[in-house]
Amino acid sequence: MSKVPESENAKLIQVCSVGVGEELYGIPLGDILEIVGGARPQAVPLAPGFIAGLVHYHGDVLTTVNLRRVLGMPPAEMVQDLLVLEDADGPFGLAVDSVREVLTVSSADFEAKPSTVRKRKALFAGAFKLRDSLMVMLETAQLQPMRLAQLPEDV
Amino acid sequence: MGLTGSGFLKLRAIFSDKPGERRWASCVAHGEERRMDELIREFVIESQEGLDRMERCLTDLESRPDDAELLAEIFRTVHTIKGATGFLGFKGLETLAHTGENLLGMLRDGTIAADAHVITALLDLLDGLRSILRRIEQQGGESCDGKQLQDTELIRRLTALQTASTEAGAGGEREQCAAPLAKPESGRSQDESETNKAEAHATFPDDARAQGRGQGAEIARVAASPPQSSAAESTLRVDVKLLNRLMNLVGELVLTRNQVLQATAADPGMTMLSRRLDMVTADLREGVMRARMQPVSNIFSKVPRMVRDLSQTLDRRVRLEMEGQETELDKSLLEAIKDPLTHAVRNALDHGIEAPGARLAQGKPEEGVLRLRAVQEGSHVVVEVSDDGAGIAVESVRARAVERGLIAPDRAAEMSERELLQLIFLPGFSTARQVTNVSGRGVGMDVVRTNVEKIGGKVELDSQPGRGTTVRMRIPLTLAIIPALIVRSLGQSFALPQSALSELVHVSGDEAKRAIEWIEDAPVYRLRGHLLPLVLLDCLLGAAADDVGRREHFISVLDADGRKYGLVVDGLADPEEIVVKPLSPILKSVGLYSGATVLGSAELALILDPGAMATMAGITVSERDNTGNRRDTDGEEASELEYLVVSVGGRQAAVPLKEVLRIEQVPAARMEYLDRRPVLNFGGRLLRVEDPGKRLHSAASDASLLVVVCSDDTRHVGIVVDQVLDVARGSELMEAGSESAIPGLRLLCERVTSVFDLDLLSGWDATRCEGFAQPAAKEPDGTNEPAMATSWRDAG
Repeated sequence: MSKVPESENAKLIQVCSVGVGEELYGIPLGDILEIVGGARPQAVPLAPGFIAGLVHYHGDVLTTVNLRRVLGMPPAEMVQDLLVLEDADGPFGLAVDSVREVLTVSSADFEAKPSTVRKRKALFAGAFKLRDSLMVMLETAQLQPMRLAQLPEDV
Repeated sequence: MGLTGSGFLKLRAIFSDKPGERRWASCVAHGEERRMDELIREFVIESQEGLDRMERCLTDLESRPDDAELLAEIFRTVHTIKGATGFLGFKGLETLAHTGENLLGMLRDGTIAADAHVITALLDLLDGLRSILRRIEQQGGESCDGKQLQDTELIRRLTALQTASTEAGAGGEREQCAAPLAKPESGRSQDESETNKAEAHATFPDDARAQGRGQGAEIARVAASPPQSSAAESTLRVDVKLLNRLMNLVGELVLTRNQVLQATAADPGMTMLSRRLDMVTADLREGVMRARMQPVSNIFSKVPRMVRDLSQTLDRRVRLEMEGQETELDKSLLEAIKDPLTHAVRNALDHGIEAPGARLAQGKPEEGVLRLRAVQEGSHVVVEVSDDGAGIAVESVRARAVERGLIAPDRAAEMSERELLQLIFLPGFSTARQVTNVSGRGVGMDVVRTNVEKIGGKVELDSQPGRGTTVRMRIPLTLAIIPALIVRSLGQSFALPQSALSELVHVSGDEAKRAIEWIEDAPVYRLRGHLLPLVLLDCLLGAAADDVGRREHFISVLDADGRKYGLVVDGLADPEEIVVKPLSPILKSVGLYSGATVLGSAELALILDPGAMATMAGITVSERDNTGNRRDTDGEEASELEYLVVSVGGRQAAVPLKEVLRIEQVPAARMEYLDRRPVLNFGGRLLRVEDPGKRLHSAASDASLLVVVCSDDTRHVGIVVDQVLDVARGSELMEAGSESAIPGLRLLCERVTSVFDLDLLSGWDATRCEGFAQPAAKEPDGTNEPAMATSWRDAG
């Protein structure tokens, strides 16, 4: 896919790219436990808006975050794909419109987010400059449901 | 003692049923991090198990001081510890065990008698050994200066006992045990004239090792006699985490199986295969669950010692009886009831059983009886602690509760005895006149209730002044699986724990407008003449309440700690045994859900928390507790006394409430007949219907019939009634002259009422259609009309 110029200090990183609306986001492959296609989370009434619901995962019940809602987009009509992510507090799900592909990108193409990003800035690490678009890298740890609940809405 | 909650569970082969062999060991709580040497760890576990067994034997020994078996068992334990320590190099432990062994040897040989002093000393020895083991477990070594001093002190006491007894007796034989210790003078003199000396003890003081061997030989002989000691070889220790993982996987397998069964239902070629899969899955699930089960004796075994110590402190004479020790319970639940059990026993000894003098004065035997009983009842295990002591004086409970400001005086005045007894469970309550160091601080029963309810259990209390008190803990078999009713709302399923559910009311679409009434914005329902506040589940969950009163509804009447309300849901599915899965903190913080579960259909369902819903909806404890109508949820004891009062053929009749499953309102047209006997088809299940009041003959096809659906565990029967009148408690009727209770009749709502006997109804079948028509009701001389008997006879 992306031909990266091999500079001296650049490291190659594997990133899973996901589509949400028109945008392309990236999540480090190492943070992903499993990719589940076509999941239908069971809604949880009264839960915060960014919670997509519950998903049955390997005998456990997984709380799932709706990335569209986290990013302030209207809820999706279609069946979404699900990433199972893990952080220190255990696994959780992330519902995205579609899982695209696993890219091997060079850290030379990465740039930290500019200071002008104000909305939900804690969620983003920066972006990879792909040939035809930007792939915005997400901070996996910040997507953890409890963390999201503490996140100020639009700052 | 040394047993902590976490750690390992002993997975055992099913045939090794000797309770003592099934103890799980705890010493490994920190074992992994500390990388304790495998051998030492094994030794600590084994020794702790041995000591637990020894503790039981010691308390038994007090009542049967001459039991050679018991002595041999104790001896064996101490000897095993001593043998292993020498080789592992724990000197302090070895010395202590050695001293104890010598004392035990004398006991066994009959040189000294197992009196209270000796047993106390042996119990101290046990504690001493335990504390060294704990140090080894936690610190990897036995050294601890302060403790060592205590041990020396203990050794001195043990040695002194041997000396004292031998000096008192004719013998004067002295053990060499103290030789390595501070009292050399007691060690050296060997009295050869002692003739009843067993070979193992007639050893030579200079060679402790030789003595060890000598006794070892004897041990071998003793050990050979009880054959069950080989059970240890058929058991295996398994990490609890692994078992939990297995349990999870089995849960997943169950779901996969359900899906396979659904997918292959149409394919006859797959039938055999899927049936086999079904069976294997069910067996596997049961097997894994059994692996988590532990006998109640694991916690009961702590009681004899406790009773012994307490009765000495409190100056009571108590005989302990234990029953049903082999009853099994999930490990985590067993752990959870340890404290409640301790409190209940303490209470029984301190507040229950009176001092010997007081007992004699009341004409009771000097010795009180404390009875521990465990029995499995369906999906619950009942653990009972009862005493034959003073009981609870209801009046002093009333006074005390008012004095402590727990309830208002006018409220207290109108409370029933049963309700007053429940006050004991309030935090801060104690009737003890003075605070002793055993109990009386007013935390006991509160702790019992809190802990038991935390694991989904219930506590009941029965007391008769002067005759004793029974604390009954009703514990679910496993924590992970609870019976629940699946309800539907907002187009999805929710699970409602059945423990809080008292009854279900069906409101059809036509009636909804009339049945659900409103006081301002609060919906209510008239349940047998009383207003029941309603909570609309979909509104509670955030939906707009637009079409309430136009649709079909189900009202599930819930009782959350005395807060009674009706939860209105859109639909009901079958009850299911659900596997509880924990929720993530973010969803727990919603406050309505206690967990989630995966249903048989692979659909996820949230588990509703009845208490939290009541709180959120603003339901408070109902004011009309005292009308006798309140369905006491405290389980069988209460419901045994309660009856659903109905009218049948113009007469009052009753069904035991615990046998009532639900009350259905069905159009008469739905009634079908099999060989002239009425039946109902409920979702593909055939329900046999009895019509004692002969309403079916007269009912127009568009009329609706009330059918009380009853169950006696094996079969369901529907009884057509005219009207449901009430739920009431009833008293037995005594037959004039004989003064014995008349079966089948109760005094309910101030009228003599005959009670349907489901056994007789269920015993009915096509071949003996007349046989069932004899109700158990003995027809007493004209005072009562055998209401049901005549009409049933005609009904066949």
